Amino acid sequence: MSHSFDFIIIGAGLNGLTAAAYLAKAGKKVLVLERREIIGGAAVTEEIFPGFKLDTVTHNVAGFDANIARDLNLAQYGLELIQPDVSVFAPQRDGGAITLWRDDAKTADSIRVFSPNDATKWRAFRERMAKLARVLDSIHALTPPSITTTNPAELFSLGKLGLQVRGLGKRDMPEFLRALPMPIAELLDYEFENDLLKGALAAGGIHGLMLGPLGVGTTYNFLRGVNDGVVRATTFVRGGVGKLADALASAAKARGAEIRTNAHVVQIRVRDQRATGVVLASGEEINAPQIISSADPKQTFLQLIDPIELDPTFCARIRNIRTRGVFAKMNLALDALPNFKNATEEQLRGTISISPNMMYLERAYDDAKYGNISQQPYLEITIPTLLDPSRAPQGKHVLSVWMQYVGERLETGDLRLKNEQLGDLVIRTLSDYAPNLQSLVLHSQVLSPCDLQEIYSLPNGDINHGQTTLDQFLFMRPVPHFANYRTPLEGLFFCGAGAHPGGIPCAAGRNAAREILK
Amino acid sequence: MPSYDTLIIGGGHNGLVNAAYLARAGKKVLVLEKRHLVGGAAVTEEIYPGFKFTEFSYVVSLLRPEIVRDLNLPAHGLEILPLPSTFTPMLNGDYIAFWDDHEETHNEIARHSRKDADAYDEYGRLMYHMAKAVRPIIGMIPPDPTSLSPNDLRGMLKMGMHMRGLGEEKFYQLFKLMTMSSGDYLDEWFETDALKGTKAASGIIGTFMGPRSPGTAYVLLHHYMGEIDGAFRAWGFAKGGTGGISNSIANAARSFGAEIRCNAGVAHVIVKNGRAVGVALDNGDEIYANVIVSSLDPKRTFLKLIDEKELPNDFVNDIKRYKTRGSSGKVNLALDALPNFTAIPKKEMVMQTLRGAISISPSVEYLERAYDDAKYGNFSQRPYMDMIIPSLIDPGMAPPGKHVMSIFVQYAPYNLNGGWNNEQRDAFGDAVIDTLSQFAPNLKEIILHRQVLTPWDIEQITGLTEGNIFAGELALHQLFFLRPSPQWANYRTPLHNFYQCGSGTHPGGGIMGAGGRLAAMEILKDSK
Repeated sequence: MSHSFDFIIIGAGLNGLTAAAYLAKAGKKVLVLERREIIGGAAVTEEIFPGFKLDTVTHNVAGFDANIARDLNLAQYGLELIQPDVSVFAPQRDGGAITLWRDDAKTADSIRVFSPNDATKWRAFRERMAKLARVLDSIHALTPPSITTTNPAELFSLGKLGLQVRGLGKRDMPEFLRALPMPIAELLDYEFENDLLKGALAAGGIHGLMLGPLGVGTTYNFLRGVNDGVVRATTFVRGGVGKLADALASAAKARGAEIRTNAHVVQIRVRDQRATGVVLASGEEINAPQIISSADPKQTFLQLIDPIELDPTFCARIRNIRTRGVFAKMNLALDALPNFKNATEEQLRGTISISPNMMYLERAYDDAKYGNISQQPYLEITIPTLLDPSRAPQGKHVLSVWMQYVGERLETGDLRLKNEQLGDLVIRTLSDYAPNLQSLVLHSQVLSPCDLQEIYSLPNGDINHGQTTLDQFLFMRPVPHFANYRTPLEGLFFCGAGAHPGGIPCAAGRNAAREILK
Repeated sequence: MPSYDTLIIGGGHNGLVNAAYLARAGKKVLVLEKRHLVGGAAVTEEIYPGFKFTEFSYVVSLLRPEIVRDLNLPAHGLEILPLPSTFTPMLNGDYIAFWDDHEETHNEIARHSRKDADAYDEYGRLMYHMAKAVRPIIGMIPPDPTSLSPNDLRGMLKMGMHMRGLGEEKFYQLFKLMTMSSGDYLDEWFETDALKGTKAASGIIGTFMGPRSPGTAYVLLHHYMGEIDGAFRAWGFAKGGTGGISNSIANAARSFGAEIRCNAGVAHVIVKNGRAVGVALDNGDEIYANVIVSSLDPKRTFLKLIDEKELPNDFVNDIKRYKTRGSSGKVNLALDALPNFTAIPKKEMVMQTLRGAISISPSVEYLERAYDDAKYGNFSQRPYMDMIIPSLIDPGMAPPGKHVMSIFVQYAPYNLNGGWNNEQRDAFGDAVIDTLSQFAPNLKEIILHRQVLTPWDIEQITGLTEGNIFAGELALHQLFFLRPSPQWANYRTPLHNFYQCGSGTHPGGGIMGAGGRLAAMEILKDSK
């Protein structure tokens, strides 16, 4: 039987599109099927309110590997990344704030107001974190090797990694191994004395996790957010994160790939332990010799495939993947720039972090671990219009809020009923720092974990398709034996954020394409 | 000319094991113990006339069988009595129990959940295999992964081969155990709250983490590694209390010619030209030897006994950041009669139940809330407790008809808000008794004496920094080649002729004796 396509890719999120672009570039005939009317997955820019282009879910693509942009010529397809000079503006209620800049000296100046001691330590700390994060970058770019492998190529990459880890040297190598399973609070308590600084950094450790800063493994998550040497880096895309998806799509299409929206895959067809095609909600069937899913593992293996085709142990493991909805998203269209106490416009261009101290974050987590919404949540805010005015009508702004934690278990109730409550909580919390905010709101949108699951297919609302904790890291992700983007079924591959290395923009898609082309 | 080959600072079980092995190899050994009796945290004391308290450590399961064999401890008085069961009363008046009889346990769990009863067998098998997989690592000198020395490279290779030898499946299972929280891990297996609570409890003992903190699943395994007479998983009670274990090791050491001096606290280590040459005692006496070994915890050893200037900066910093947060206390009771746990359904079950352990761990959430109190600097209002009644196992522990009860309590932070004082100690004791009285209403009426030990007390009496019962937390980043500090996990230290052998070294706490034994091997290697 002849097929019109070599590959069908399920889902046009960043990973699906990246895989598509790489495969198309290698001369493969690719069809991407997207359930929604627009592409991008969780990296979409939507004009929910006329004239305001909102990054509805993801608002930061820091961690995106510049090699991918080069490989796929994305600049030619309209990709322009914006990296503000400021990474984090961390205010406290009474008006003081610490600002973390790309420039170490400026950062130290900002810290010095609170702690001269911490200011002197900043550069060395940032450089050491950058060094450890670079090793992680290499690990993230790797296909997780099997520990019992005898394959020379895998052994070589394992050996190379081993050398790189050893290359950290006598001091930093044990430091690296010690840091990964360390609570971020422990690391920071040892390094610094100022609460505001520690809170601002610790927030990077809990981002997206159902863990507080006292949780083991939060240092690993913190290091994931150290990109190109910048701690808690922010990277915007001109025109909105959706433009990254658009550029990937254009690169793929330029090489002959086809992308269909409003094409909801409801089933993966399997015959004799082999994936043979997909069935759409419309009833249409499309066959191809190779299927790649960028949907999350639970959806892929427990919903799209008849359970009879899979081993029960494998299915049990997929069910046990820990996906946790921990955040809600609030997007605001504003009449003017809110007035953050004592802040210059320049300071607001990166991420604004409401994380006054580590215990604030830990208490926010306490509420969530018993299933409640944090009474005093951690907020991460961006105002992309400051560097990209094209995103809103003249003089107006968009403000994007990541609110953590929402601990409600999805099955226990309809969270949408709580959207209003969530929105009020965000505005109330934020008003302590930017008192005139409420009066500037033209439109607002709240997305609870329930919405994030329904609209954006994030399992339980988990942005990473599975918590980025150490037990779901490397060869454990998504499940043991199948961390190399392959699955128990012949002809079925996996390229979503549920695979190694999790929700780092485009990384799993690139790794999977490399593996599939082997 | 030094009068001893080796001085060992501290007569806790690891110091004694170290002494016994060195003396057995023909070394002239002197053990220096600050208190009037040996044992460290493994002591039995008659705090009230006729009532013998296993003051701190109270059960045994981790003592290495090779030590029992090598030192012939049974001949020196070691006798382990079985502690056959664990009984967990629930808040609703029901209970769940784990008996030594497999069938009985199965039926008991099935009473709560048939699914759990079946899973329990499989869980036990997996834990057995995991404990077996970890066993060789426990008995291994941790190699330094940054070193290129043949010994370390050989160690790394051995370790790598061991991991590969496990096969992928076991390796992944082990990795999960090392990185997950006990709560999440148990959720994958079971549905009964009290079952999960009781199992999760062993994952938090001695740590300053709640059952939802990743890394606690490993401690769960650590407690599964007990071996008595080669039988995995068994917990036991030493005749005469845990002091009985210490005494048997001390007797063995003496039989090999070691000298043990009590009431001999070491004030500091005498260092000359980067070499440890002797110690100065609290009374001013100086004693010299070729080799000095500390069995004290790393913080006390390197930050109190040795002048910082004698040690590399990085090393001192590593020791300073080594975590030793105490999280547990102990309440020991002298009782006029037996407590009546109302959850015990039948009269004929009473003695069988009380002879085992009783665990106050009705759910994972109960434990997590107990932890929440502690993380903000308070002792748990509703603490986790693990208790035994030693006088029922060994009648010699109390006068006829009377009893002693040993209650391990968690959480009690060393750094209590406002600090520990008599009032706070009493309030902590009251929280324990009040909580227990819910399950055994006659408790308050039968208490003759009560000894409450906070982490602060534990530090004062035993010397364990911050009262941490493992001489350093069993957190992932403080294990194996990182325990207590990178590059110095092989029992050596930056000071020549100075070694460490306590629970603060690999493989860590519990009455295991492994540190004492492995350090002795290394010392003997170096002295060749």
